[in-house]
Amino acid sequence: MQLAFFYFFSGLSILSALFVIFFRNTLSAAIALVVTLFGVACLFGLLEAHFLAAMQVLVYAGAVMVLFLFVIMLMNLGREELLKIKLAFLGIIGVITGVCLAILLVTRFMGLSAPLLSLDLGVEYGTVKSVGKLLFGEYLIPFELTSILLLVAIIGAITLARKPQS
Amino acid sequence: MEKIVSYLVGHCEKLQHLPEDFIYLALQVVAGLLVLMLFVAPFAGIISFVERRIAARVMDRVGPNRVGPQGIFQWLADGVKSLLKEDIIPAQADSVLFRLAPYLVFVGMFAAFVVVPFSSGLIVADLNIGIFYLIAVTSIVVVGIMMSGWASNNKYSLLGGMRSAAQIVSYEIPAGLSILAVVILSGSLSIQSIIKAQGAYPWQWFLFQNPLMPIAFISLFIASLAEGNRTPFDIPEAESELVSGYSTEYSGMRFVFFYFEEWANLYLIAAVSTALFLGGWNLPSAVVSWAQTKGDVLLHLLQFLTFFIKAMVMVFIIIQLRWTLPRVRVDQLMALCWKYLTPIGFVVSLGWQLGWLYFLRECLWSVM
Amino acid sequence: MKQDLIYFLPELIVSITVLFLFLLDCFIGKRSRRIFPVIAFIGIAAMMLANKSSSPLPSARFFSDMMVFDHVSVLFKYIFGLAGLIAIVIANGSHELEKVDKANYFTLLTALVLGMMLLANAHHFLMIYLSLEMVSLLSYILTGSLQGSRRSSEASLKYVIYGGVASGIMAYGISILYGLTGSMTLTGVAEFLRMNAVSKTALYTSVLMIMAGFGFKVASVPFHMWCPDVYEGAPTPFTAFLSVGPKAAGFAVLLRFFFGALSQTTTSGIEPIKIIGLPALLGGLSIATMTLGNLAALQQKSMKRLLAYSSIAHAGYMLLALVALNAEAVTGVIFYLSVYLLMNLGAFLVLIIVGDQLGSEDISVFQGLSKRGPFAALLSIVMTVFMFSLTGIPPMAGFIGKFYLFGSVIKSGHYTLAVIGMLNSVVSLYYYIRVVKIMYFDEPVDGRNLTTPMVSHASTVFALALLTIYLGLFWNGLANIVGQAKLF
Repeated sequence: MQLAFFYFFSGLSILSALFVIFFRNTLSAAIALVVTLFGVACLFGLLEAHFLAAMQVLVYAGAVMVLFLFVIMLMNLGREELLKIKLAFLGIIGVITGVCLAILLVTRFMGLSAPLLSLDLGVEYGTVKSVGKLLFGEYLIPFELTSILLLVAIIGAITLARKPQS
Repeated sequence: MEKIVSYLVGHCEKLQHLPEDFIYLALQVVAGLLVLMLFVAPFAGIISFVERRIAARVMDRVGPNRVGPQGIFQWLADGVKSLLKEDIIPAQADSVLFRLAPYLVFVGMFAAFVVVPFSSGLIVADLNIGIFYLIAVTSIVVVGIMMSGWASNNKYSLLGGMRSAAQIVSYEIPAGLSILAVVILSGSLSIQSIIKAQGAYPWQWFLFQNPLMPIAFISLFIASLAEGNRTPFDIPEAESELVSGYSTEYSGMRFVFFYFEEWANLYLIAAVSTALFLGGWNLPSAVVSWAQTKGDVLLHLLQFLTFFIKAMVMVFIIIQLRWTLPRVRVDQLMALCWKYLTPIGFVVSLGWQLGWLYFLRECLWSVM
Repeated sequence: MKQDLIYFLPELIVSITVLFLFLLDCFIGKRSRRIFPVIAFIGIAAMMLANKSSSPLPSARFFSDMMVFDHVSVLFKYIFGLAGLIAIVIANGSHELEKVDKANYFTLLTALVLGMMLLANAHHFLMIYLSLEMVSLLSYILTGSLQGSRRSSEASLKYVIYGGVASGIMAYGISILYGLTGSMTLTGVAEFLRMNAVSKTALYTSVLMIMAGFGFKVASVPFHMWCPDVYEGAPTPFTAFLSVGPKAAGFAVLLRFFFGALSQTTTSGIEPIKIIGLPALLGGLSIATMTLGNLAALQQKSMKRLLAYSSIAHAGYMLLALVALNAEAVTGVIFYLSVYLLMNLGAFLVLIIVGDQLGSEDISVFQGLSKRGPFAALLSIVMTVFMFSLTGIPPMAGFIGKFYLFGSVIKSGHYTLAVIGMLNSVVSLYYYIRVVKIMYFDEPVDGRNLTTPMVSHASTVFALALLTIYLGLFWNGLANIVGQAKLF
């Protein structure tokens, strides 16, 4: 049952990820990306990480992608602008590399024994409490670093976007 | 839930071959559909009628009063009519996205009802991240609205869609902060535990828990009005400028989906405020013990009524507001969110935390 | 966690400086913008003092294995601090940055120093990724800080796109490595690899992918494409910093990765984890990097592009040391980085002084520089020192740096690589000496004389030149300090 859902949602995310690449229309691609992120959120849910799943939906599908859509709509990128870029050669190389990588991953990780993956999940696993304890305990420094990183990125973006001083 | 499953498995041979979690899942889907069909859809329909009648009263008109006594079947007639109408898709529209958008809006709104409680036992799923899930899932609506605005290939639709998205994304912050204040008080994200942390009487409600909570309540109320595109924040569909905003090009059933979303959202706003601030379905303990002697059904019925009445009061306030206040401008809307509600939200949630720390220190002092 | 703060003190000082500067920007008017470089300078100087006081502490891992403290990290913090201080001096008063908002420029520069420090101490892949992103993000922003300049914006955009792809590939590589070993810390990975056999192909792929991120930071082939364009488009004071700071940070994390995760310390020394072809891979990369850098530098007309390709070539030399993967290699890289910091910043500073006054950044601007008045004659001597040092000609510090690098390679038995490295140095002689040649043997195109620039610029450039010569003659002091450096 779990497995069936896993295959469904991972298939969904992979398929829509492919659509992200192959859609000519930027907006359709962005929507496909929303589906991908949603699929990933469902995978988190299947792994009992409900908080993470909700976070994924809220932050990515809800906020980040809306900003993506905003930018696409504001710039009004149509099909024409994109068709000019033709990367047939690079595309073929990319496909070959991707397929090789996929084969590699599938063959190497298929035989990987389960002990790594089947951890003993406590009752608390995936709850806000345990995630919070992790974030403000073991992962405190990365967490704070992220906040500085985001602050700096915001200020930098404003610096770049501001009109030059006359 | 376990009782139902064991009952079903015990009485039906074929079910025994199925894995148990599949039965759970199927039951949840069925329960969800039941909630939709038995509650949300009629509610949205009836509230559309109620709103039109109230609007008529405010404007000194009569309103719909022909179908059935006092016109209370008007919504059924409207529903049937829109089902029969032609589904027009503009030739220049992006047809796939155009078709998809209303469903997305609808799904986002409906999925939120999964965690909305009706009584201490009547809830589709009491997730431990309940209120957070609700915030997350309703944000899918934004994507749908933007899609509809874009796919219509109409400048009014596009403008409406973008306004709506900007509004919803911005107001999620003050709403989240106000909710945070409640979550800090109750120590849980599950809506049922938040309700359980309150009591039946007004002084036990979170609304009057401390002096900051009424502020949190009001800012949550304003923010949810804005998130639901309700007046005075209905600029995405400001008919004087944008015809009908993102739903301009829609007709028939797809159009109804958008309105369905709006009215369902009305209940959602009211239910969230009720659950978080107004004590939810809590009854005085005397009533609870009396009702338990008469059976669980009565208890749940009473709890449902308590919850529903509180929610309905909120709904009526929102409807009254719609016909009382003028529409704000875009810049006013953004200024209200970023310059007033967000700082207030921070003061409310952080201020309470600081107060709590102070309290904790006092406790430590007394222990030592 | 409280005790851990002692190790974190330098970073803490810089973080506080950054946040203070951000807040100050909100309250201070346009008139008193001069205070920003001063505060940034003081903050970084205070960091170096704190760093000095923390240097006797024993090595440790702190913040639940997220970061590591050892002598290498102390040394790298010195390098970053020095680079930051000089970059502040250079940027303050540069003509090119006149129109740039000083407050933001210096704040972001300080934040960049913070990012580099965190990168050099990172022990957890999450920290590595985040601090790498911090360094990259700030580099993009500062590259594009010349508003209204098409070249600057274009450079920034190119940098963003390359950087995004590189860090994406790196994150993928890290995820594969995590999948293979189940550990996110460097020592955890090493531990697992020592105890268990894993698929070599998968490990090799993941290392390659992680190299994409690190290689992008140090500008090694094949992730060097951004380098010339970005160096050319960015404001020159920032290019100067970019060529030493983030590159040093990239090498710091490369050292940590290859020594921490992919090798183990045994009684006989450091041994690479047995992955087939790791030295071959790195050797190939480094040869390709230095050869490409040197050959491309031969044909450059713009001085900034020339220095860009030269910095690619120098990255190639330093990658050689990773092939050696012995204790001497760590010493070699750190010594080389400190020397490279002096000479490369010096060369850029000369370019800034000359370019600001003569209004061009082409090599031709150096034509007959020695004949443009007394200050120019002095400046030509200084430039000659830097050019000789970059080539690696004996009395200069660059020679000693190369000596240590190639020494570690020879000690590990890779004679071919050492020979190729030396041959490359010979090739580089051509384009460095050409600059010297046109300064002395060509005639200036016009009669303009070079006036004395600001005191801070002039004194810094002379100090750098003197240090370059000094370290070329008396390298023992620095070599001893660096020689004690041990990775934890």
